Amino acid sequence: MIYRWLRDFHLYFGLFISPFILLFATSVFYLNHGTLVTGAAAQSETYRDLNIPDGFDRLKGREAVERAKAILPQVGVAGEIGFLRYIPKTGHLIFPVSKAGSEATIDVDLAARTATLIRRSMHLWESVSYLHKMPGPHNVALRGNWMGMQVWRFVADTTIYLLLFVSLSGVYLWWAIKAERRIGMALLAGGAATFAGLIYAVVR
Amino acid sequence: MPSFASTLAAWNRKLHYYLGLYFLFFLWLFSLTGLMLNHQQWFTDLYDRHEVSYDPEIETPAGDTRAEQTLDLMRQLKFRGEVDWPASQPVGHIDFNVARPNWSARVRVDLNARQAYVKEFKNGTMHTFQIFHTFSGTRFNQPASRRDWAMTTAWVLAMDALAAGLIVMVIGSYYMWWRLKQRRTLGVITLTLGYAICGAFILGAL
Repeated sequence: MIYRWLRDFHLYFGLFISPFILLFATSVFYLNHGTLVTGAAAQSETYRDLNIPDGFDRLKGREAVERAKAILPQVGVAGEIGFLRYIPKTGHLIFPVSKAGSEATIDVDLAARTATLIRRSMHLWESVSYLHKMPGPHNVALRGNWMGMQVWRFVADTTIYLLLFVSLSGVYLWWAIKAERRIGMALLAGGAATFAGLIYAVVR
Repeated sequence: MPSFASTLAAWNRKLHYYLGLYFLFFLWLFSLTGLMLNHQQWFTDLYDRHEVSYDPEIETPAGDTRAEQTLDLMRQLKFRGEVDWPASQPVGHIDFNVARPNWSARVRVDLNARQAYVKEFKNGTMHTFQIFHTFSGTRFNQPASRRDWAMTTAWVLAMDALAAGLIVMVIGSYYMWWRLKQRRTLGVITLTLGYAICGAFILGAL
């Protein structure tokens, strides 16, 4: 009974996460061996008479990001704000906004209520690698300021939890096939030895 | 005599769990460190590290290029790891950083004074564990960066092998599932749902 249930969950969970496994696996090659070619610089666009929230001279972190989000629909951009850079001397607020497929840098002149926007498209491999790396360990306090990133975090976590389940259930399903135990144990031991040997060689 | 299809099915099934068993520990490492990277708030003091500074005298490094001289300096200091150089180098200096997942060093060398200024950092166990996820020696958005330590290359090959193994396992699993006629309908639904969500993210719709 347990065997049948595990076999079915192994199958259906595996099928569901398979596109995400392919995403994470294929992007490894780009992240390890690829080179980013950004192409020609995009034309800048200027937006005027913007409704700019106040407080950027004193607010920091998440609070400032929440206010900066009010600028995004006015310049036709949606995505995750990477960080905020307020330059007191010039009264400018500069921040990148990204999602898979595109990124933009927005330079807001707070006093003049204008924004200069530079958009850039990502090619497929860059988009896939972007998703691989997000939300990631940087700017933790700000990360997840866009709904899409919050959903992606949930999806990426779910993929990992299901992958752990699929791998554990896979071990159980293999162990149930008595004829395959010996060669399976040899491969498991070989994998463990390779893993431990590499870790040791890198850290010693 | 078994048909080609049944032989292919049998070997595809074997390959699926042989690859899975061989890469099991690598898969767990990258899964767990992936969770760590996405949930830094779960950890306190993750980036605490033990720091030691000292200023050893050095011999004038041998070699004509910065890379050769750095290698000679590393030999003198008995350092091993992946090297990178800061963007700007003061005149008469060779400045470089060396890193392994559990350790790193910042080295500033005054060639005229034959003096090195070294700061060594020892990472904690969890931080070391996490670094293995990203330890590739290159950054795709920094074209000038390149791997220069054999062990980094070996680790990157392990990453590539795991990725290739997973791709083979996924493709093989589609074949195994498709042969189970009574599970096709629910399988198509779950697979379509997975591809629809994944595709929406890749296309930037979400």
